[in-house]
Amino acid sequence: MGEFEVDGEEKLIVAAKYVVKELRSGKSLTKNAKKVLGNLLLELSRVVIAEDRDEEDEIGEIEQRLNVVSDKIMTREVDESMIWDLGSDEGNLYLDAVNELRSLIDRLDGSSGLGKAGSEELSLRKAHDVLQTAMARLEDEFKHLLVENRLPFELEHSSFRSVEADHGVEEEAMASFGAASTEDLILGSNNDSRRNSGEIVVDLINPDVISDLKNIATTMIASGYDRECIQVCTMVRKDALDEFLYNHEVEKLSIEDVLRMDWATLNTNIKKWVRVVRNIVQIYLLSEKSLDNQIFGDLNEIGLTCFVDTVKAPMMQLLNFGEAVSLGPRQPEKLLRILEMYELASELLPEIDDLFSDHPGSSIRTEYREVMKRLGDCARTTFLEFKSAIASDVSSHPFPGGAVHPLTNYVMNYLMALTDFSHTLDSLLMENDDVEDLTIPPSPDIINPVMVEEESTYENSSSPEKFLAMTRHFYSITSVLEANLQEKSKLYKDISLRHIFLLNNIHYMTRKVLKSELRHIFGDKWNRKHTWKFQQQSIEYERATWLPVLSFLKDDSGSSSGHGSKNLRPRERFQGFNTAFEEVYKAQTGWLISDEGLREDVRTKASMWVIQAYWTFYSRHKNNVSERYIKYTTDDLERLLLDLFAGSPKSLNNSYRR
Amino acid sequence: MARPTEFQGSFLSRISIRRNQIVSMDVNHEHELEELEYFQKHVAERFSELITSPSPHHSSSSSSDAAAVSHPSDPILSIPWLQNLLDVFMSCEAEFKAVLSTTQISKSPSLERVLPEMLDRILKALDLCNAVVNGIDSVRQSRRLAEIAVTALKQRPLCDGSVRRAKRALTSLLIGLNADERRDRNSGGSGCSNQRRTTSRSWSFGTRSNVTGGGSYGQVVSKNWSATKQIQAMVANLVLPRGAEASGPVMPVYIMSSVMVLVMWVLVAAVPCQTSSVLVAPLPLPKHQNWASAAVNIQERIGEELKRKEKRCGGGGLMEEMQRMEKIGLSLMDFAERFRYPADEEEEVVVAEKVDEMEEICRGMEVGLEDLQRQVRQVFHRLVRSRIEIVSVLDQAPAI
Repeated sequence: MGEFEVDGEEKLIVAAKYVVKELRSGKSLTKNAKKVLGNLLLELSRVVIAEDRDEEDEIGEIEQRLNVVSDKIMTREVDESMIWDLGSDEGNLYLDAVNELRSLIDRLDGSSGLGKAGSEELSLRKAHDVLQTAMARLEDEFKHLLVENRLPFELEHSSFRSVEADHGVEEEAMASFGAASTEDLILGSNNDSRRNSGEIVVDLINPDVISDLKNIATTMIASGYDRECIQVCTMVRKDALDEFLYNHEVEKLSIEDVLRMDWATLNTNIKKWVRVVRNIVQIYLLSEKSLDNQIFGDLNEIGLTCFVDTVKAPMMQLLNFGEAVSLGPRQPEKLLRILEMYELASELLPEIDDLFSDHPGSSIRTEYREVMKRLGDCARTTFLEFKSAIASDVSSHPFPGGAVHPLTNYVMNYLMALTDFSHTLDSLLMENDDVEDLTIPPSPDIINPVMVEEESTYENSSSPEKFLAMTRHFYSITSVLEANLQEKSKLYKDISLRHIFLLNNIHYMTRKVLKSELRHIFGDKWNRKHTWKFQQQSIEYERATWLPVLSFLKDDSGSSSGHGSKNLRPRERFQGFNTAFEEVYKAQTGWLISDEGLREDVRTKASMWVIQAYWTFYSRHKNNVSERYIKYTTDDLERLLLDLFAGSPKSLNNSYRR
Repeated sequence: MARPTEFQGSFLSRISIRRNQIVSMDVNHEHELEELEYFQKHVAERFSELITSPSPHHSSSSSSDAAAVSHPSDPILSIPWLQNLLDVFMSCEAEFKAVLSTTQISKSPSLERVLPEMLDRILKALDLCNAVVNGIDSVRQSRRLAEIAVTALKQRPLCDGSVRRAKRALTSLLIGLNADERRDRNSGGSGCSNQRRTTSRSWSFGTRSNVTGGGSYGQVVSKNWSATKQIQAMVANLVLPRGAEASGPVMPVYIMSSVMVLVMWVLVAAVPCQTSSVLVAPLPLPKHQNWASAAVNIQERIGEELKRKEKRCGGGGLMEEMQRMEKIGLSLMDFAERFRYPADEEEEVVVAEKVDEMEEICRGMEVGLEDLQRQVRQVFHRLVRSRIEIVSVLDQAPAI
């Protein structure tokens, strides 16, 4: 518009000032003056309309700013240090420069569309070049911040106590089928380690730098460098997760590797898995997702992409382990572990659904369900396998001393341990026919209070209807066990020992049930029936052992049972009794009733029989039979009977001579 | 995507049905022969579908919608073709189980011998599936890099900055695609002297654990696991049944095993996998047998591709889209390295075309890779189910 020359402009300014001054002085205006002023007004309004900024001026301004901003950015390039190491303020200044650069580019782009003058195109090129440099720089800074401010994530930090020690006992008991030696098999710590999973989010990155990271990310994304940003973030976070897994000795295992493992190694790995999966899902993933959300803010999709890209491979790796375990041969000793895995998986399912609710992660959800289903199937079939394993446990030699057989011990401890998983197991057995159904057993957190309440309410009454499927299977398992024990008892030649063996074993079963959670599953009726059963064995034993011995002490006057002791003289009767008693003593001191109460019981009853009969006979005949033949007093016998069932064979032949 | 061969029902329930049929027919062996013949025909047909009318052109419209419909013209080793291959595998597998269910294991000791071998092969196939799934993730990674290059090269005016951005993405892309090792070494020199910062110049994932083959795929199994070794182990005891066995129940097991090995071999050739050696041993397929001819044809063609690729830069990742991506990537890289502003106008047009093609590959991959990955997982789960079913059949065998 070059209407005004520079010196003309000065005149104009002087003139305008004069006009303003004159007008403010309040003098009245002549008609002529008014006309001139009217024209001026017209002219002035025209000037104001055309007042849109001079384009060349604007370009000039942009170029000027561009130079300033570019200088700011490019001087950083020769500097060795990282910008954010100098503090957030320094970083924000840099970001301001970059953001201004970006808006300058926008203005250049939008300024005149086609046909840009050479200088404009040059500026735009330069701006883009500088922007690229800045972006590469920001990417490095972003990565640097992410790497340098990583906080270690340790399981200890997250208030989980190690359950390692608690499993020690059970370890031994479950070592192998049929070789159990430990009395109690406890998996009790399970319930303790489950706790209300209020959201625990730990800081995976120093919280001080989150806003810096967010600012950088925002700028990169706004500049169209979102892919680079995702790339770098995923890479660093993936490394962190890999490191976490590495630190917790989560090995990268193929399915074949897992199937080749011996049980001890597999067991260790499963325990590790349970611990790591719980922590990863409940804490790590949650924290990771929250971190990504913090950095990428409301640009949710980018945060989500980062999150899924970061955790997908490790999650698949962990799930693959579950898959591999479920593919292994169904060995009974694995059941508790598999149930533990399954229970954990179902417990964490809502969290997984929540974490991977959106598209990019939904495949993880699908895989998770698949693995969970496999573990459930595996647990169920392993349980059924357990039953047939009991049935097919064959011994060729009688178990020494008629004591509690390792099989009984193992089975009962096994069942006891399973009660920790009652709900899970029961629902697994229930859905037998409905395999596809993936209803989740209610979370243990909800169940436990109910169970506690129930225990106190139904202290003595049992509630077998509670776990119908499980109860049914447990009944059938103990039946199978009893049938097997019957078979095993037949290996004893001595009828009395058969009874002691069954007495021992059935008593053991009953006691185990009574003293544990099993009583709720088996119920009173089962208990009464089995108490009767072992008492019956006790009676059978007494008859088998003591009737023949005591028959010597019976005077012929009474019922003559056709026994050989008929028509014997008292002397011979004493002799006969002595020999018979000594034989019993010799044999039955070697037998074993390890339960003290039961042992006491059996001895007392024997004592009652023997002492009473002997006392009667002894009082009647002690005067007409030579002392030679009366080897024992009632006190002697009573003392001697205390040696029975102690498991260390003794002999009386020479030691008891008067 | 329709999967007509999807077969969810229990194999065991089918067994009982089939058994009833046998009892009623009382012509066991003849029926077996019939089933075998049908199975062979099925395999032959389904595999020849894969090689009929191979299109000499790239199916340029292979983005999502066209992929599902036009399979005969899908170029070999392309994502849609691989998806068809997996479909074929699934349908053969379903058919195999049907055949197996007509045989009585107790009457065939040879079957009792070969089924455990098959179980072992399935196990190896499962690990291979996992490796392939991870390999697909690495291809997805390549796609992202290609997308960066596309975005950068679409910038107008094309200036040094954008070309630099593209070059960096292409460098990582080509390393990932295992294309050019020379560039690997040059990649550090993209304008940064700071040593701390140069370490981040390339985005190749897993470069630290880069054993051999130099792929960018995350390693998921132990270091010495190798896809090639797995396949070699799968064929090690795979012997063509002879004599009377050739018409017995051992034959379908042999055929199915061969199909399984072939499919796994193709997947491993197509998708970059953790592997120790480049050379993949060819399968001993019986050329002369009807069912195998199409399969042999496929094997030979892929074998040639492998050889060609090997000569250039060392095998792996034969996926058609990856190969095209690599080719375009190399030429774009060439362009980027020679680039001086302003670009030659004619060349700019050519580059724009290439960029468009690259963009289109990326778009095709976006959907295709996900579908393919899902399908490989389906194969995985199918194999798991088969394994469980075969195990239970074997468990029951002595009791019959």
